[in-house]
Amino acid sequence: MTTCVVGVGNDLRGDDAVGLAVVELLEGSLPDGVRAVRCEGEPVALLTAWERCDRTIVVDATRSGAEPGTVRRIVAHEQPLPDDVGRSSTHVLGVAEAVELARALGKLPARTIVYGIEGAVFDTGAPLSPSVQAAAAVVAASIRRELEGGD
Amino acid sequence: MSRTTRTRTIRTDYLARVEGEGGMLVKLRDGRVTDVQLSIYEPPRFFEAFLRGRDFAEAPDVTARICGICPVAYQMSSCLAMESLAGVEVEGQLRALRRLLYCGEWIESHTLHVFMLHAPDFLGVASAVELAKIDPGLVETALRLKKIGNDVMRVVGGREVHPINVRVGGWYRVPTRAELEALVPDLEWAKEASLATVRIAAGLEFPELEQDYLFAALAEAGEYPIDRGTHVVTSADDVFPVSEFLEHVVEEHVEHSNALHASLDGKRYLVGPMARWALHRTHLSADALGAADEAGLEPVVRNPFRSIVVRAVELVYACDEALRLIREYEPPAEPSLAVVPTAGVGHGATEAPRGILYHRYRLDDAGAILDAKIVPPTSQNQRSIEHDLRAFVSAHAALPDEELRLRCEQAIRNYDPCISCATHFLRLEVERS
Repeated sequence: MTTCVVGVGNDLRGDDAVGLAVVELLEGSLPDGVRAVRCEGEPVALLTAWERCDRTIVVDATRSGAEPGTVRRIVAHEQPLPDDVGRSSTHVLGVAEAVELARALGKLPARTIVYGIEGAVFDTGAPLSPSVQAAAAVVAASIRRELEGGD
Repeated sequence: MSRTTRTRTIRTDYLARVEGEGGMLVKLRDGRVTDVQLSIYEPPRFFEAFLRGRDFAEAPDVTARICGICPVAYQMSSCLAMESLAGVEVEGQLRALRRLLYCGEWIESHTLHVFMLHAPDFLGVASAVELAKIDPGLVETALRLKKIGNDVMRVVGGREVHPINVRVGGWYRVPTRAELEALVPDLEWAKEASLATVRIAAGLEFPELEQDYLFAALAEAGEYPIDRGTHVVTSADDVFPVSEFLEHVVEEHVEHSNALHASLDGKRYLVGPMARWALHRTHLSADALGAADEAGLEPVVRNPFRSIVVRAVELVYACDEALRLIREYEPPAEPSLAVVPTAGVGHGATEAPRGILYHRYRLDDAGAILDAKIVPPTSQNQRSIEHDLRAFVSAHAALPDEELRLRCEQAIRNYDPCISCATHFLRLEVERS
């Protein structure tokens, strides 16, 4: 199975970088056949990242108003992303639109999992908040189990 | 018998499919338009302020960050301003590479707007995602075209968004012939896809609206203006050098918007694809002109809804021009020219996908920026956008609110407004009394 783990975020915008932080935690210890990609969330880049993959796991920050560090796991090949996941981007389109675009085009990997990690601080130049940093480690561990367990 | 005054308000608080955050408000009283406001509530960005004190060489990288869609425009206008002050002219293959990078940006930006942002208005769908459900082939074409534009930017500029290879005086590294030639098969496909795009755009149904525009575009002898221009020319036969831009173009602050509204010698005017087409179409490639002919494009397009066809014609040209530049490419011996800063004021302007982008910098003798002035296309077009809305709503006041609101949004998107650029810029409100 070809798998791509995609960390989405901007490392200059505080907790927005949590997707990138998860990829950083995973890199170097990924099973064979699993690629890790960093991405700002631009849909063409996302579609390209998971092109020809059977499975993709996407990690993005959320801003839903939940407790910082709250982790949500969405089985995106079965359902659309909820309104408050994958839409935090100030760009024209984000992860949610990329997923729906891929679904409409028949280009969504058969297994598409999106992790949303609730951020607290999105200020320019801010570091990751401690609770978000902790959540990144939890998600990295969870992804590793998913990759190893085949689930 | 007294009669009741009827007020209608049509508003969009958060305008989708534009770059940045803004809204629209239209007020009608008894079917007459009383107010039209394009409000830009994206917060002010203060780029001009934080350029002060930075080194002249930093301007291309700092100003590129103003926009993720047209960073090359910012880089090129700032480089030209700095070079003009230093008396350096970047010519030959160094300049050809700039035009090639800019073609990449035109392909990427025009594709995004024509297919993803504007076409849904004509096809009655809410978004590119909905469009993909009814016409996946169209969206796949768009994605591939955009990717090819991105590839040109990556190969020449080092990165798809906010290229890192541009410097005052030229480049950090110039590409090899082989690197550019590898782009040719995709660009040839892109050209065919662009020709098909012109045919598709020409077949759309255009709402009726004929406007009398004062068009303005850069002029560069013998060329369709993209990466530079020595003068600004208008459809009223005004001609002035770029260095006199601010003597003619005046920006003013209006209460309902964080963007500035510009006028040219006191008049409302229009920049962008329709202006370039009206003023410079004879410089387009034979195939771009042929496609325009076939599409029935008149020498001066006055219906702003048809700008989508002009943009598609420019897409053909950008592919042709990129292919020409690659064919003629000889790697220059040095990647850049030395630029020694001197105290004074430098001006630079290029044709961003949306129209003229003007920069002016004042430097001290060490090359530090004392002050900066940036006039983006969207603030120049803002009065025209509001004028179009006023005319359109006046002529179509009988439409039900929801349809009127959708048509007004479409009228705004005719301009491919870049709110992020203009903020110093969209919500839609129609208020009927």
